Amino acid sequence: MKFVGLMLKSARRSKRRTALTVLSVAIAVFLFASLRAVLDGFQAATEASSSTRIVTIRSTSMIFSMPTSHADAIKSVPGVRDLTWANWFGGIYKDPKNFFANIAIEPESYLRIYPEIILTPDEKRAFLDDRTGCIVGEGLARRFGWKVGDRIVLQVGIPVYGTQDYPFVVRGVYRSGGAAVDNQTMMFHWKYVDERSLEKGQIGWFISEIANPDQEAQVSSAIDQKFANSPYETKTDTEKAFQSSFVSMFGNLNLLLGSIALAVVITTLFVAANTMAMSVRERTTEIAVMRTLGFQQHTIFALIAGEGLTMATLGGALGAVLARLLVNGRNLGAGGFIPDFGVSATNVTIGIALGAFIGLVAGIIPATMAARLKIVDALRRVA
Amino acid sequence: MGLISSYNLRSMTVRKGTAAMTAMGIAMVVAVFVMTLAIAQGFRSTLVASGSPDNAIVLRKSATSETVSAVTRQELPLVEALPQIARDADRHPMASPELVVIIALPRTTNDQPANVPARGVGPKAFTIRDRIRFVEGRPLTPGLREINVGRLATQRFKGLTLGSEVRFANANWKVVGVFAADDASFESEVWGDVDLMIPAFQRGEYQSVTVKLTDPSAFESFQAAIAADPRLQLTAQREQDYYAEQSRVMTTVIRVFGTFVTLILSIGAMFGAMNTMYAAVAYRTREIGTLRALGFSQFTIVSAFLAESTALALVGGVVGCLLALPVHGLSTGTTNMASFSEVAFKFRITPALLGAGLVFAALMGAAGGLLPAIRAARIPVARALREI
Repeated sequence: MKFVGLMLKSARRSKRRTALTVLSVAIAVFLFASLRAVLDGFQAATEASSSTRIVTIRSTSMIFSMPTSHADAIKSVPGVRDLTWANWFGGIYKDPKNFFANIAIEPESYLRIYPEIILTPDEKRAFLDDRTGCIVGEGLARRFGWKVGDRIVLQVGIPVYGTQDYPFVVRGVYRSGGAAVDNQTMMFHWKYVDERSLEKGQIGWFISEIANPDQEAQVSSAIDQKFANSPYETKTDTEKAFQSSFVSMFGNLNLLLGSIALAVVITTLFVAANTMAMSVRERTTEIAVMRTLGFQQHTIFALIAGEGLTMATLGGALGAVLARLLVNGRNLGAGGFIPDFGVSATNVTIGIALGAFIGLVAGIIPATMAARLKIVDALRRVA
Repeated sequence: MGLISSYNLRSMTVRKGTAAMTAMGIAMVVAVFVMTLAIAQGFRSTLVASGSPDNAIVLRKSATSETVSAVTRQELPLVEALPQIARDADRHPMASPELVVIIALPRTTNDQPANVPARGVGPKAFTIRDRIRFVEGRPLTPGLREINVGRLATQRFKGLTLGSEVRFANANWKVVGVFAADDASFESEVWGDVDLMIPAFQRGEYQSVTVKLTDPSAFESFQAAIAADPRLQLTAQREQDYYAEQSRVMTTVIRVFGTFVTLILSIGAMFGAMNTMYAAVAYRTREIGTLRALGFSQFTIVSAFLAESTALALVGGVVGCLLALPVHGLSTGTTNMASFSEVAFKFRITPALLGAGLVFAALMGAAGGLLPAIRAARIPVARALREI
């Protein structure tokens, strides 16, 4: 430990170089932590799905709807405790570029089955009482600057909803109490939409709450059995499977983001190793003098490796903290395309560890170089 | 200038290890840059290839894509009667009324259901899209529950091989042919007879009409004729423009993401280049002093060192491009948000993209080398000469 001072002193030898190295590691860790956060966001949305909720869609594809009569039939299936439904509205707010999810829900039961949608009791009552009311997620409200009481007009995106615009009044801004519900969605009364729809009584998907999560498979197949060979065959699956089918739509995200992260780490390794080698070469004479004075090989090795480790860990910490400060609290949901994400404490830790790893690997070759130095040769060398 | 640049280029090779590491750092950045943009490029050209210059697509007014469009049965003959549409030998109009819906089929890779576009087409569809070639089997027979499948769709989704029966919309459909379409998005689709698919999917009308015009220049008058007819609530677009628009959102998202990541990454690589160049300048202080004493101007010194770091970065750029090249032609898929269905596409690395990668590398080198070069030029001659 007595060499810590010496180590820090040599790191300060070329302040500019040390700063550049620390910053390049910081940037790498910043990117790495942010990419991981995006992946985690996707994963969390899938993982956090409730095991007591199952989703029924049309077997052909979820873009087709089912008649309301399915509701009673599903309710009568043993094991189903509660039921709600929703339909994709696909409305356009001013411009198709402002894409966000907007769905028509059966309000009372939907809020009951999704306790993750957190509203104040007043907001909830106001929403339930107003047929043209809507609730919007916190993130969405921030994106467009909406407040309770604002009037929002959605243009029709799907021809079945007629041609007239739909006005809504914001009755509540909800907070998301779990990753199964994102904060980028707008929800409104299914009845209001159904009244004006050209085809009445159409439902996109049913969500049933089952009494016992172990019976998920039985209940699902019992529901699908009910509608087998009818014009509206269904496919029921866990909420998790439903969510992950959205994630897999993006293609092989893990591979893409993973290879970018790998490239980031390798690039930084090159940069850091290069700098360390440079600084060792510069100090050749100095190290030879230290060896002459009696410093052991392993002490020299530890000194150089330690210097690299310190710099890189510092950079890692800087990058990870920066990622947490910059990414969190910002609305980077990409318009609802990807779930809300944030850099978690775990990601910060992993980032710092990654910085340390880079420092360690980058330092090994230069440190070995320094430790193996032939004193006589080194002393003879000029500059 | 000749002397000074050969001096700098030769000095670069003296310290091979450092130079190689710096170049590799830049190579990685360029590789990431080229690969992500190759995704955007591939996706875009897949959709754009779907359009052909003498075709037009007719949609409902203000519809942004086929899925949200509607063309009624009364409107179809009015469109087909327009004189700008090409006719076949029997004087039948070259027009195909179509419907696109999405069906869920399991992927070959992970058995997860994917959204596959199913297109109902008229009998003329295969002659209108002249890129379509049959790889196996034959075109479907109108009136029978037969389907044709795109080549990429047979690879990506289960149960679409020639001769197999696929069940959707409460009926079994027999695969009688597999077609290729020069990597266009049609290769990810399943095609059936539109007049069987409309009732099967409980729809009442067509969504679009694709027509072959007598000549690409006939488009303006065709568009005007449709707009002028009060019985038609439709608009016409060039097929190429339509598909380019369909790819815009997705391409922009990928481009923005790719640029963002590579920009941040390039700052790291630039720091690396800066370090190397500062060290290079420090090592050669005496040499630089000598050069200045011989009469080389400050400007020459700056440009020489800039050239050195740019050359170093360009070497990295070339290596990066070579690293990225193998992904060219790899096929992958993603969901097109405009149609909510999966599109298979191939990574596409174009010469322009490689050029952009090299320019990007050169910029990184120049930016990283600027400060060290200025430092080199500013060293006082007398002090530099005294240095050991």
